[in-house]
Amino acid sequence: MSVDTARILPLRNGAGTNPKIVAKNIQKYFGNVLAMEDISCSINEREFVAIIGPSGCGKSTFLYLIAGFEKASHGELLINNVPITGPGPDRGIVFQEFVLFPWLTVLRNVTLGLDIKGVQRQEAEERARKWIRLTGLSGFEDAYPSTLSGGMKQRVAIARALTYDPEVLLLDEPFGALDVQTKNYMIQDLQNLWLEANRTIVMITHSVSEAVQLADRVLVLSSRPSRIIADVAIKLPHPRDLRDPLLRRHEDEITAILSAEVDKAMSLERQASAKAERRGS
Amino acid sequence: MPNATLSEPAAAFANEQRPRSMVYRATASVVVFALPIIAFLLIWEVAVRLGWVDATILPPPSTIVRRGWVLLNPSDLGQSILLAHIGVSLWRALISFALAAVLAIPLGFFLGLNKTAYLIVSPLLSLLLPLPAVAWTPIFLVSFGQGDLTIVAVCFLGAFFPILYSTIQGVRGIGRHSLWVVRSMGAGWFDIFRRVLLPGALPTLISGLKLGMAHSWRTLVAAEMLAALSHGLGFMIFAARSYMDVSTMFVGIVCLAVIGLLIERAVFGSLEAVTIRRWHGTGKLGSNR
Ligand SMILES: Nc1ncnc2c1ncn2[C@@H]1O[C@H](COP(=O)(O)OP(=O)(O)OP(=O)(O)O)[C@@H](O)[C@H]1O
Ligand SMILES: [Mg+2]
Repeated sequence: MSVDTARILPLRNGAGTNPKIVAKNIQKYFGNVLAMEDISCSINEREFVAIIGPSGCGKSTFLYLIAGFEKASHGELLINNVPITGPGPDRGIVFQEFVLFPWLTVLRNVTLGLDIKGVQRQEAEERARKWIRLTGLSGFEDAYPSTLSGGMKQRVAIARALTYDPEVLLLDEPFGALDVQTKNYMIQDLQNLWLEANRTIVMITHSVSEAVQLADRVLVLSSRPSRIIADVAIKLPHPRDLRDPLLRRHEDEITAILSAEVDKAMSLERQASAKAERRGS
Repeated sequence: MPNATLSEPAAAFANEQRPRSMVYRATASVVVFALPIIAFLLIWEVAVRLGWVDATILPPPSTIVRRGWVLLNPSDLGQSILLAHIGVSLWRALISFALAAVLAIPLGFFLGLNKTAYLIVSPLLSLLLPLPAVAWTPIFLVSFGQGDLTIVAVCFLGAFFPILYSTIQGVRGIGRHSLWVVRSMGAGWFDIFRRVLLPGALPTLISGLKLGMAHSWRTLVAAEMLAALSHGLGFMIFAARSYMDVSTMFVGIVCLAVIGLLIERAVFGSLEAVTIRRWHGTGKLGSNR
């Protein structure tokens, strides 16, 4: 899939201005534990938003709320101005833990979404093979997931979501298990897909450079209970060069915010446990 | 060079093994399986012939085989007593097993998916599961009297609870993320059942069926001893005691063991081979790939 980005970019003209997903004062409790304190944000049509934040701050939970798997304890979450009440085929997700089906071959895992939609088998396989090829899984179509490496499983999960082509793609650390080289290829392909197909993408990542390379906006979450502590717009044309000084400046800025947050959280944590220890002894 | 002399026959062995490896492996596994049994039978035979044990209590294998041959009546299998007993026993065990599976599997899916129902039923289940089904025989004898109905009812109970329990555990063991994946693809209930719940629960379900069949087979013997009017391996064994016919008893015992083994290996073995062993071919302790 070679895309003439120079030609497409003016057409695409960046993200749209209509809000696709709107979160208003989202709060999420798990039992007595407050996971998300107050999340408000608006994600526009065709926007690529990256979410970054300390481990355990509620990033996956936020994605599950958008996907409709979990319910917010307070607040409002809209898609196309309609409250989200449950999962739907307009939103596709790549889980942090891949979640492949061990009883299906790679090909059948990838065609699953189309099979459920009732797409003809031949067409489904054709569309699946495109993404199997682009994720470098050719030759493994008939393998079962138990025989694949972690990175290969992750690529199957990515291919599965891209093949059935939802309007909104929710990606939970989609490149976490990949080596740098493979990751760069997949980032290229994801960019091309996004430029080509005008999808809205919400991607969780731990890598600041991944975020600034791909996203229109980077949301930085605080540690648990989470709030949005920074919303950084990255107004640079795609495809981006990681050595671009503007990009580097954004990267440094976000890294600084993030490490300040992690430092704060860790020192609070240590103080609390030290206090508990003193009280215990 | 000592290395050369060592590696040469090893290489030759590997070359020779490769083209025949399938046949070789199959034969080897049969031999490995049969050898200890044959050795055991030989020791038994010798021990009886040397008079170390009393032949009227423990007849030698040769006598049991001869007795089995007579009961089998190979010249006219239509009139074979042994086959008639085996047929009736198999019929009883299978019908109870099938009934149990047909009722326990849907109920198991329901209880596995419905938390409230599970909370209500699970204490009952944990009492009934370990209870040997044979204990019910006298109660059924009171209401149904001797005969097939009582035997089938008891065997049914023997098979029902293991199947029910395994189905519930199989369903409950499915990760919620798996359900989320297909629900986010717009799957309705039937697709969710067919594409996730059923295959996801299948490994545990198969072991439940295996256990259910084994329980049904085990319970059968005791139930037949207590409640059969005629026929059945359990009946045959029990009836032989009136004539002190120990070799007939042993023929029955051997039949029970062999048929139990065949059901487990042939039926469930092949079921596993086309499902879970293909999915999880590698990486499990005890897998040979
Ligand atoms: N089902 C649940 N029950 C109870 N607590 C939960 C549940 N799911 C998440 N949590 C808690 O909510 C918090 C946020 O979890 P979440 O998985 O969203 O974090 P995350 O930001 O994705 O972390 P990571 O970067 O490590 O993946 C954690 O403290 C976790 O313990
Ligand atoms: Mg997470």
